[in-house]
Amino acid sequence: MIGGILSYLVPGLGQISQGRIGKGVLFLVCLLSLFHVGQAMGNWQNVYLPHQDPHDPTRGKNPFRDIFQLRWHYAGQFWIGVSAWPALYQYYGGPVPSAEKSPFWHNYQRPPRDEHALNQILVNSDKTPDLGWIYTVIAGMLNILVIYDAFAGPAYGKGAHRTNPQTASEAAAS
Amino acid sequence: MITAIVSLHMYWQLPILIVVISLVYSATRYDEWDSILGEAFRWGSRMALFLVGIGAVLYAVSVLI
Repeated sequence: MIGGILSYLVPGLGQISQGRIGKGVLFLVCLLSLFHVGQAMGNWQNVYLPHQDPHDPTRGKNPFRDIFQLRWHYAGQFWIGVSAWPALYQYYGGPVPSAEKSPFWHNYQRPPRDEHALNQILVNSDKTPDLGWIYTVIAGMLNILVIYDAFAGPAYGKGAHRTNPQTASEAAAS
Repeated sequence: MITAIVSLHMYWQLPILIVVISLVYSATRYDEWDSILGEAFRWGSRMALFLVGIGAVLYAVSVLI
């Protein structure tokens, strides 16, 4: 159980804590690289959780509603763990460095203030930003498999070996 | 044809993506490295063949229609 939680927080951390260090490092490097390269391909503007109407104080914040009504991408990105938490932090309006001091961290995983400008960037660029958000979603979805591996072990069981189909059919025949 | 080849530059990362996905997927199936690498190779080959097939069909459609 602890392993599953650790692997949710940081991909591969559960496996590392269980002594399966090589696999853990493989998950950590591959999935975090995939997620961050995806963010970079989208000009660091493709992981965020928008609020339905930020100017209407009567509407309570409901991340589940906003994910499924406005930004379902985040339902996949969320599973990468801590790396996607800044979007929730920004969603709830946590304090961030000022735009003058650090524009990168000010805008990191922040919903776009001007959605029209973002759409213009997407329309006028090649398909790289589109591939970028797909990478981040793939990283999140793959981490669900990693969490399961940390929670219950490899899908084909501990100590399982891959069988050569030819060998398997020969064994079945004999 | 040349335009199609030039536009392929944005897919340079596709082989890396295939390697990463097949390695991670296979590592969630097995614990032994030889099994992981064998399964990853098998999955990677299948995905590459599938994508090349889709690309060939789309290219044929764009040329013929």
